[in-house]
Formats: sequence, C-alpha cells, structure tokens
Amino acid sequence: MPETNPDFRYPLRWRIMDMAEAIADFLWPRRLSKYTGWLFIMPALMLVGILVLGLIQIADASLRTLDTATYLPSDNWSLDNFQKALGSSVYFKVAWRSLLGAALTTAITLCFAFPYAYAMVRTQSPKVRKALLIALFLPFFIGQVVRAYGWLILLGNGGMVNDVLGLVGIGPVRLLFNYPAVIFGLVQYMLPFAVLMLAPALTAIPTETEIAAGSLGANWLQTLWHVILPMAKPGLVGAGLVVGTLSLTDFAVPAMLGGGSQDFVANAIYDQFFRTADQGLGAALALLLVAVGSLIVGLVFMVFGAGTLSMGARK
Amino acid sequence: MISQSQRITIWTLVWIALLTLSLPTIVVLGASFTSGNIIAFPPDGLSLKWYAKLAMARDLQQAFLRSLVVSLICTAVALPVGTLAGLALSRFRLRYEGAIQVYLLLPFTVPLIGSGIGLMLVFGEWRVLGSLWPVGVACAVINLPFIVWSVSSSAVLLDPDLELAAQSCGAGRVQTFLHVTLPAVMPGVITGSLLMFILAMNEFLVSLLLTDARTVTLPVQIYNSIRSIITPDLAAVSVVFILIALLAIWLLDKLVGLEVFLKSK
Repeated sequence: MPETNPDFRYPLRWRIMDMAEAIADFLWPRRLSKYTGWLFIMPALMLVGILVLGLIQIADASLRTLDTATYLPSDNWSLDNFQKALGSSVYFKVAWRSLLGAALTTAITLCFAFPYAYAMVRTQSPKVRKALLIALFLPFFIGQVVRAYGWLILLGNGGMVNDVLGLVGIGPVRLLFNYPAVIFGLVQYMLPFAVLMLAPALTAIPTETEIAAGSLGANWLQTLWHVILPMAKPGLVGAGLVVGTLSLTDFAVPAMLGGGSQDFVANAIYDQFFRTADQGLGAALALLLVAVGSLIVGLVFMVFGAGTLSMGARK
Repeated sequence: MISQSQRITIWTLVWIALLTLSLPTIVVLGASFTSGNIIAFPPDGLSLKWYAKLAMARDLQQAFLRSLVVSLICTAVALPVGTLAGLALSRFRLRYEGAIQVYLLLPFTVPLIGSGIGLMLVFGEWRVLGSLWPVGVACAVINLPFIVWSVSSSAVLLDPDLELAAQSCGAGRVQTFLHVTLPAVMPGVITGSLLMFILAMNEFLVSLLLTDARTVTLPVQIYNSIRSIITPDLAAVSVVFILIALLAIWLLDKLVGLEVFLKSK
C-alpha cells in the first residue's frame, strides 16, 4: 500500500463501486464466471419464452373444433381444422394471392432497393448520402397505418393522381382496393427494410473490384452481373428473406389498400378470430402460416447461408 | 469510372424510389393544413383549424398518450434484456449458440399475426388483457431481435484485450462492465433503444389484437377511424407521427450517426 495522506478521503464514487463489486461477488461469485454468458442471455430467453407459450396455445387451439351448438371449443383434439383449412378453395385462393404477392413484392422491391443502396453507398457527396438516408428512415419510422393513409388520400377517386389523369382526358380510374394497389403499398412499405439490409453488403465490396473489372474490359452491366451481384449475395438473401416473409404475412396493407377484397392470409386469420369467432380454424391457419414462413426461411438459409441475419458472428 | 448510361439508370430508379418513399408523408402533411371539410391534396386553402380540432379531441389525445406509455414500457423492457443478450451472443462462448440464435430469431420468423394471436391467448390466460403494459411487453418481444442485432454489432468491434487490460489494472467486474464494455456498445444500445421506441410507437397489428376500446393506441385509433370516415383531423394527428419520426432521426444522427447503418459487419 502506498503512503496515504491523512486528509485523504475515500471518494464516494469509489465506495459505491466497491459496494457494487461486493454485491456482485455475493450474488454471482467468481467461480460462476463461466456461466455469466448464460446469466446475460437468460432474460432474453425468458422474454421470447412468452412467444413460445403463445405458439403452444395456438397449437392447442388449432386442435379443438368449434362446437356449433354451444359456440365453445371442443374438449377433445382432432385434426379437423387443418383438414378444413387445407381442403377449402377459399383459403387456397387467399394463400395463392399472398404467396404471389410476396414474390412480386420481393422482386420489385429488390429492383429498386439495389440501386438505392448502391447510390447511397457509392456517392461521393456526404450530403447526398445523408439525404438518401433521411428519405429512407422517415417512412420507416412513420409506420404502416399513416403511410397507407397517405396513399388513400393520393390514389382515391378524388385524389391528386386521378386529377392529373383527368387533365389528360383519362376519366377517373379506380386505383385503390385492387391487387396492384396492395403490391404497390407493400413495395413502399418494404423498401427501407431492403435498402438497410443491402447497404452493409454493398459497403463490403471494394470500389477497386469494379474498377478492375472495368479495366479488364467489362461494361457496367457485365460488372454488375459478374462482380457486384455475386459479392452482394449475402445482403440480397437477407433482404429478400425479410421482404418476402414480412409481405407474405402482412395485415395492414391488404386491409387498408385492398379494401377487404384483397385479403392475405393474415387478414383471413384475423377474420376467423374476430368475425366468425372460429378460434380453432384461425389457429390452424396461423400455424400453417408459421410453418410456411419458417420453411421458406429454413430453405433459404440452407441454400444460401444465414446471410446478414446472424447475431454477433465474430468471437 | 461511372458511365453515362449507368448513372442515368441508377438515378432514374433512385428517384422513383425516393418519390414513392416520400409521397405519403408529403400528402399527409399537406392535407392536414386544408381549410376545407374533406380530406384533399393539394389542400383546399390553408388553415390550422384541424389542429385546433385536435386540441379538443380527447380520444385522439388519450390514444396518443397510451401509445407513448406502450413505447416507454417496450423500451424499458427491451433495453436491459436486449443489451445483455447482445453482449452474451458476441462476447461469451455459449454452448448450443446456433440453437439460441434460431430461438432468439423466433420473434422475427414467426409472422406478426401469429405472434400477436399467441400473445393474445397467453395474456388472456393470465387475465391481464385490458391493461396497457402487456401491449408494451408484447412489442418488446416481437422487436427484440432489432436491439440484439444492433448491440451485438457494436460489441464485436470491442477488442477483448481492453477488458483484460482494465482488469489487470485492478478494475473489478462491475467496474470493467460499466467503464469499458458498456461505453463500447453504447452506439448499439442507443440505436437499438430508439428503434424499439419508434417501432412500438408505430406498432399496429399487435396493438389491434391486444387492445380493446379502452386501451386503444393511436395507430389502431387511426385505422378504425379510416374505416368509417376520413376527416382531416386524422391527417393532423398523423403529423404527430411524422414529427416523432423526424425527432428520432435527428437523435439517431446526432448520437450515433445515420451512417452506421451503411457499415459492413
């Protein structure tokens, strides 16, 4: 111990720190250190556990059929709900509409997200980059309902787009409550997600590779196809995955821009729970959607690897 | 090195994307200032009368306050939980880490309608539906991967030797954590918390499933009103979301810089 000044007073901060250390030593002794990782991850495991409980509840509900006499779920389990869901042509149509919608949305979104991310990453001007970032985050942070509301105003029969069309002699066109409107709304909703997943992957590609490809005689389309796209694959996979699953399962856009005639699976599930009050059938549909979603994610993971979705890769 | 045709192609697509991204915001903003009685863009003359109406609309104000409470609860839950999980995944060796990753990604891979209904059934079983905190907790559950991602991507950048150096200088575990580990992951923590707050503020489907007429949050309130009649006061209240979004972007830029989202992992 060094000589201590008799006037020296042990600062309060140190005392608090010592106390904190002592408490930590008491609550979590050093010999448990190798389990500290588990201590840290435990709350997250428990929080997500609520969701797992929820999935179990859905599974349980899906096995009980609705008794039409009492309007109560049955006591015994059966697979009737799944049979009903899979055998019905209505749900087949809804499922097909959602899958096609998700595929179209993914393809269109990536077509626009890629150049956006590319321009944002490669631009020389920090101001342009900032502007592109803000234009991206603003709709992302505003939420689906308000954005769909904006489209309702703009695309309605008396909206601006129809006014402009009227000027050039095209009578009012029904732009809302049809399939293209839903796809359009989904693409707009998904663009920020896709760009934010693509941008890091594009940052990782050094400009020099493009210059090298160019100096070897490739034109920009060849460079794009043979150099940039293959190198950006993890980002494209991540972005496609997120866009695909989120649009497959979206509720708000089909509900608001589809006007009830363009229901996706999520809307059908909601209706089963809150309109028809057939919990069992709704739960069966929800479980099938979870299964299809996980299947797509799993397949893409197996074929392309986890892309940019893995958490904390390096040790 | 960029050819003319490439520049034109890229910027045409970027401008289309920019227009699509920004139009709804501009339209809502413009329509809120209309002096007419029906919603219109371009607005029918300028006035603030719909904002004045807003000052009287208690239901909208209450819904906004409830959204605020939900966001605060969500952030308060997710902040410690997500930070610790992000640290655990990036700085500790865990057995079965692959399985844990898949498990923690569940909120992301399970469709929102599935999570929402599952949580509704669980909270219904626990008899807590009808109060506000389950909505906040639900938002924390479904958005948890976002904060885990942002914390762990900051945490992998911290050199483990720094923590060892602190300890060899005599810092205890708490001190090392508070003075070395935590400051290093702070950008991730801030980004994650802001994301959690804003996502909870905007959360629609899960709120729709978990709230009733007494606990309805603002996005659900707007949705319900749109289904009946569209009046310009909805545009005025939507501007609140736009302002909050702008504030969040400004904070994010100020505290960590928006450019972090461009960094490669």
